[in-house]
Amino acid sequence: MVDNTLDELLRANPWFAALGEPQFEAMLEIASMATWPAGTLIFREGEPNQNIYLICEGHVALDISIPMRGRATILTLSDGDVFGWSAVLPIVNIKTASARATHDTRAIAFDGIAMQEACERDHELGYHVFRRLTNVVAARLTATRMQLLDMYATGLEGD
Amino acid sequence: MAENLPSPGEQVVIAKPALQSVFKALDSAGYTLIAPVLRNEAIIYDEVSSVDELPIGWTAETGPGHYRLEQRGDESFFGFPAGPSTWKGYLYPSRLKLFSVSKNGGGYQTVPNQDVSPSYAFIGVRACELAAIAIQDRVFIEGPFQDPHYEARREKAFILAVNCTEPGETCFCASMGAGPRCTQAFDLALTELRDAFVIEIGSPLGARMLLDVEWSFAGALELGRADQKITDAENQMGRTLDTSDLPGLLYDNLEHPRWDDVAERCLSCTNCTLVCPTCFCSDMKDISDLTGANTERVRVWDSCFNPDFSYVHGGHLRPNIRARYRQWLTHKLASWIDQFGTSGCVGCGRCITWCPVGIDLTEEIAAIRDEA
Amino acid sequence: MATKQSTLQHIPTISLDPMLPHWAAIAKIQDETPGVATYALEFQDLAFRTAYSFLPGQFNMLYLPGIGEVAISISSDPETPHELLHTIRVAGNVTQAIERLKVGDQIGVRGPYGSAWPVEVARGEDLIFVAGGIGLAPLRPAIYHVIRHRAEYGKITILAGARSPEDMLYHDEFDAWREHDIEVIPTVDRADESWQGRVGVVPMLFYSLRPDPRNTTVFTCGPEIMMRFVAYEAMARRIPTERVFVSLERNMKCAVGFCGHCQYGPTFLCKEGPVLSFAQIEPFYNVEEF
Repeated sequence: MVDNTLDELLRANPWFAALGEPQFEAMLEIASMATWPAGTLIFREGEPNQNIYLICEGHVALDISIPMRGRATILTLSDGDVFGWSAVLPIVNIKTASARATHDTRAIAFDGIAMQEACERDHELGYHVFRRLTNVVAARLTATRMQLLDMYATGLEGD
Repeated sequence: MAENLPSPGEQVVIAKPALQSVFKALDSAGYTLIAPVLRNEAIIYDEVSSVDELPIGWTAETGPGHYRLEQRGDESFFGFPAGPSTWKGYLYPSRLKLFSVSKNGGGYQTVPNQDVSPSYAFIGVRACELAAIAIQDRVFIEGPFQDPHYEARREKAFILAVNCTEPGETCFCASMGAGPRCTQAFDLALTELRDAFVIEIGSPLGARMLLDVEWSFAGALELGRADQKITDAENQMGRTLDTSDLPGLLYDNLEHPRWDDVAERCLSCTNCTLVCPTCFCSDMKDISDLTGANTERVRVWDSCFNPDFSYVHGGHLRPNIRARYRQWLTHKLASWIDQFGTSGCVGCGRCITWCPVGIDLTEEIAAIRDEA
Repeated sequence: MATKQSTLQHIPTISLDPMLPHWAAIAKIQDETPGVATYALEFQDLAFRTAYSFLPGQFNMLYLPGIGEVAISISSDPETPHELLHTIRVAGNVTQAIERLKVGDQIGVRGPYGSAWPVEVARGEDLIFVAGGIGLAPLRPAIYHVIRHRAEYGKITILAGARSPEDMLYHDEFDAWREHDIEVIPTVDRADESWQGRVGVVPMLFYSLRPDPRNTTVFTCGPEIMMRFVAYEAMARRIPTERVFVSLERNMKCAVGFCGHCQYGPTFLCKEGPVLSFAQIEPFYNVEEF
C-alpha cells in the first residue's frame, strides 16, 4: 500500500473537496488511518457504534447473520464507498451489520460522536457532511430496492 | 399502337353504360374485378363481372358507431361513402400461407408458397384508399425488406380510382391531405356526373382499357362540373382533424388523463384496426397436421388491441386498454411519421363508423389538444 | 455527436423472401447456468454458411416447425461467423422446445437482424460493459471484438451482475478476458458464504469507478429496470446519454418491420434496435406500459 499522509489522502478525496480550510482541519482532527488485512472482522453486528469509514482501497463485505441460515452478505463495498454511517446517524446506537475486510483494505476512520459534535458546532460543515451522508444512504436505498425487485426473476431481460 | 387512345394526364368522357366495356376489357386482360357490392346490409368489396352488381342508387348513412344503407333516389354508381371493406384485404390478405415445412429424415424441407398471386382490378378506389395503399407500399415494399407476396399483388393490381363526391359523416380525408381528389398513382380515375363519367388517364395500361369504349375528350363544361363536385365534397367533410404537430402533441401527452377516459369506453375489440386501410400488424402461426410431420406457417392479421400483442415471456407489456389505445393512436398519428415519413391515417373515418361504442379519434385528439 | 447515436445496420441480402428460414444443425450444446445453455449452429447450405456474417449485438430468429419462432441474440465472435453461438435461457414455448433438442437436430434460422453495438464509434474511448443475467450473451460478441482490437480502445471494464453465483454466465471466461487488460467485476444480488466476489446490484458498481465522462462509452444489456438504473448512474457521472447504449427486447415476430409487434415509440426494435442509445429512448423509458 502507498504510504500517503492522512492530510494528503483527505485532500485527494472528493468527499472533502468542497470544504473550506477550517472545516477541513476539523475533519482532519478527528480522522485516523485504519488498515485491515484480508479476512479481518472490522466490527460485529450489535456492537456499539464508534467509527464511520471511508474506503481508500480494498473491499469490505457487510454481513447480517440470520439464525439457522448463517451469514448472509448483503453488500460489498470498495474504493470511495462509505460504511458504518449509522455511527453519525444513531437511531439505534449499535452496528446493524457486521463489516469484514475481504481484501487487504485501507480506510480513513472518523469518530462518529466527534463528527456529530463537529457538525453541531459548525452547521456549514454539518451541511456538507450530511449532504454526503444522504447520498450514501440514498444509494443504499436504491440498491436495496433493486435487490428487492429481484429483477432477474421477472423474465424481462436480454432474451 | 395504331389505335387512337388518350394519353396519361388527359381526361375523357364516357357514357355511364360504357363502364361495362371497361369491365370487359379488364376481364379480357385477365384481371379479377373487385368492386363495391351490396352484401349483408353494407357496401363491401367483392368479386364482380358486371356493372349491374355495383350498388347503383344506394348510399349509406354513417356516424360514430353507426352505418345504415339508404336508397339515394337516383342512379349513382359511386354515390356512397366508404364501407367496412378495404383493399388491403386483397393486397395483404388477412390470412396467408408463407411456406410449408415437412420433416425430411433428421431435418426439414421448406416449400415456399409459390401460388401465383392474383391479378386484381380494383374498381372504385377512393383518394383516401389510394393514399392508404401508398402507405402500405412504404411498409411492405419501400423499406429495407420487401414482402414478396404484397409486392407481387401490388405490382399486378389495376387501379380504377373514383374521385369521391359523397363523403360521409365520419370522413376527414381533406384534413389528412389524402382526398377527396385522386392525386396518387392510378390507372384510371373517374368522376361521376349525372349521366356520364369523366375519366382521367393515369397510365398507358389504363388507356388501353378504353379500346372498345366510345369516348371523347372532356370539354370545359364536363371538367368544370367534375371539378365542382370534388370541391363540393371537400367542403362536405363530416369531420376535421387539426394535424399541426401531432407527433409533438401526442409524445408530450403520453400520460394525459384523456387516455383514462377513452379506456373507460374502448372495448379493445380490434374493429378499428381491422377496418383501417393502413393498419398492418400481423402475427405468424404454425398449423401442423396430427402427425406433426407437416407444418404450414401462416401470417394472420393481428391488432395492437389484442392483449397478447405485447406479450414478452414473463408478461404483457400493455395489460391495460389505456396503454393499448394510446399505442394505437400514437402509432397511427405520430410514430408512423417517424417510421415511414407519413401519417398512418388517411381520414377515411372507418374506425369511427365501425367502433361499436363510437369512439372518434378526431374528438380524442381535440380533447387532448384542448386540455394539453 | 450525432454520429454517436447511430447504430450500425447490417441487412442480410441472401434470402429473397425474408420469412423463409435457413436450416442449421446443432453442432454442440454447452450447459452454462441453470436453465441456460449455449447452442452452436451450423447452416446446412454450404453457400449460405460461407456467406453468413453478423455484427456484434445482432440477433437471429430461431424457428422450430409446429412450435414457433423466437428472437435470440448471437453470442459468438463476429469474426468467426461460421462458429455461430446462441446462448438461450428457457423462458417460453420455443425455448422450452429448444432445450429438448440434441446435437444433430435442426433449427430454422433467419437473420442476422437489428442494429449492432457501435464498436466502431466507441474506438479510442474507454468502454464500460454492464451486463445483467443473460444480458451478457448479446454483449459477448462486442467483448470479443474489443479483445481482438484491444489496442484501439482505452480502459475496458466489464460489470457483470447475476442473481446468485451459480447464475453467473460465462464465468469460466473471465480470467481469459482479464489477460487482455480488461477489468471484469462480477457481482451477485444474493450470495452464500462460498462467494468471494462482490455482492450488490450491478449499477452500484459504478460507485467504485471513476469514468472520464468525456471519453467513456457504456454498453448495457439486462433487465430493463437494471438498464434504466445503469443509465442513471452513467448520467450521474456526466456520461452523455448519446454514449450510453442499451439493448431492448420486445415481442419480435417478423424481425423485418412488417408485423408491428416490437414497436417502441418511433422505432421498430427489430430494425433500428435492439441496440439504441439511451438518448433515443429517454422520452419513453419511464412511461408505464409503453
